[in-house]
Amino acid sequence: MNFLKSRYLTYLLIGVVLASLPFLNQMGVIRSATVTTFGFIVFYAIAALGLNVLLGYSGLISLGTAGFMGLAAYLTTHFTGEWHLHFFASLLLSVLIPTVIGIVVGLVSLRLEGMYLAIATLAVAEVSRQIFIEIWSWSSLRPPAVLLLQGLALDRDGMYLFIVGLLVVLMMLTDNFIHSPVGRALLTMRASEAAAQAMGINLFKYKLMAFGIATAYAAISGVLYAHFIRAVDPSPWTLLLSLQILAVIVIGGFRTITGPIFGSFIVFGVPPLILNQLPVIGDIPGLAFIFNGALIIIVILFYPRGLVYMGQDLKKLIKRKEVKSQ
Amino acid sequence: MSQSKKILTIKGLSIAFGGLKAVDDLSFHVNAGEIYGLIGPNGAGKTTAFNCMTQFYKPDAGQVIFNHLQGEDVDLVGKKTHDIIKLGLVRTFQNVELIGDLTLLDNLLIGAHIAYQTGLFANAFKLPKARREEEEMTKKALEILAFLGIETKAYELAAGQPYGVLKKVELGRTLMSNPKLIILDEPAAGLNDTETAELAKLIKEIRETYSCTVLLVEHDMRLVMGICDRICAISFGKKLAEGTPKEIQASKDVQEAYLGKEASSNA
Repeated sequence: MNFLKSRYLTYLLIGVVLASLPFLNQMGVIRSATVTTFGFIVFYAIAALGLNVLLGYSGLISLGTAGFMGLAAYLTTHFTGEWHLHFFASLLLSVLIPTVIGIVVGLVSLRLEGMYLAIATLAVAEVSRQIFIEIWSWSSLRPPAVLLLQGLALDRDGMYLFIVGLLVVLMMLTDNFIHSPVGRALLTMRASEAAAQAMGINLFKYKLMAFGIATAYAAISGVLYAHFIRAVDPSPWTLLLSLQILAVIVIGGFRTITGPIFGSFIVFGVPPLILNQLPVIGDIPGLAFIFNGALIIIVILFYPRGLVYMGQDLKKLIKRKEVKSQ
Repeated sequence: MSQSKKILTIKGLSIAFGGLKAVDDLSFHVNAGEIYGLIGPNGAGKTTAFNCMTQFYKPDAGQVIFNHLQGEDVDLVGKKTHDIIKLGLVRTFQNVELIGDLTLLDNLLIGAHIAYQTGLFANAFKLPKARREEEEMTKKALEILAFLGIETKAYELAAGQPYGVLKKVELGRTLMSNPKLIILDEPAAGLNDTETAELAKLIKEIRETYSCTVLLVEHDMRLVMGICDRICAISFGKKLAEGTPKEIQASKDVQEAYLGKEASSNA
């Protein structure tokens, strides 16, 4: 029980650190662009958290993340902008609809494995992107600001805090079900399908569940994107984004809750916040992609479990050194 | 006495891969409460027969009649692989199929998968029902680990444990589902003499303590002859002989097909 509490504490701590940024901005310590960058980091981390349930815990690859994110972003723009639904109603619907579509896609495509599943999900994402262009054209839509209560509209900082809060809640919920029969069933399925079947785990049901979870998280991420950036157009929802979110998990760490946040910071945060500020090399076009590409290769070669495990391994190393020196 | 009640009856079981008849018209039965051995030389079709019983393979012909937890006879053929355990029949694997990045305790809890009533939402929100269920199962798993004598390792990862411990964990995992019949696929494979002796003792204890029936598919003659009440010997997918260990040892057919070679190579 204490162990569990300490994991919750980690998530809260991450939340508190992230939530302090707008206040640092108000004090003039950091620029407001930095807060916006962290907003990106956080909602992409949410999508990666969901994808990690699918990829890390159950071992299935999906390249449809960006498609489902985009769908949710468009839906919430439409629901709140055109139909004037309350934000929470819109959030619920904009997550539910892509999730149901995701599960239907899963029903058909989960009979495929490995690369074939990846290609099938990529196809779905590309088709949805074409649909966005057909329906809403290339023009940029402006989702309204989030009204929590009548008269209480969230400004960009408020929305940022809301996103951070949601991230912490989602980390806790994910932690809960990963450390439950559901998470164990997913892990068993990845490690040995034969053992899973022998223990009464319905493979198809759990693959579908993992797929549904990944889709739902991607949709949440898309809704947050829409109301944080407050501009939605078809250009971001490409394979590139799906791959970047995949890179978040590869770099951050498979099968961890904090890995996606760490990875998201490296993939979406380090290039604009640090690399582009450097003299000379900061001006190289596409520097972020060069950085991420090189990093993926380095991580896969030397640290295949992901960088988040570095902390644990360092601790072990220090302990071993202490034991030796005694 | 229920000793003579048939718990598993195999009738005319056959499966062919291409032209090769891996199991050919195999019939035998296992009585409730006994330790039954299925033996045969390499490639005799033991594991194939095993996979046909547990529905990992779909046999071409034959019946696998199992007296399930509610006491009724059902034919397992055609049932879904993941439904078999719910009827009270659970298996182990020759190469130990455990989850390395989970603790021994968690590995045991996987065995209780079918006993859990709560789903994704109850567990995500840690509803009281889900907590209670997890506590109950954890208690049971710790009891089983204590029974196996490895309770001190409960919170250690399965990865890196000695093979003997992993074999025990796999046995423990089968017990989590309250099975009526446990089928062991070559439980002695990869164990040394001491570990095999320990395993033989453990299998007997499992039968007494958890009142289940054990069917083992095995290669190791000392284990089979030491603990089995009755044995069925097969070769090239066909039954050679069935009887007590003494009868099997005396059988000319079996000696020719299996024990003869084994004895000379062991000597």
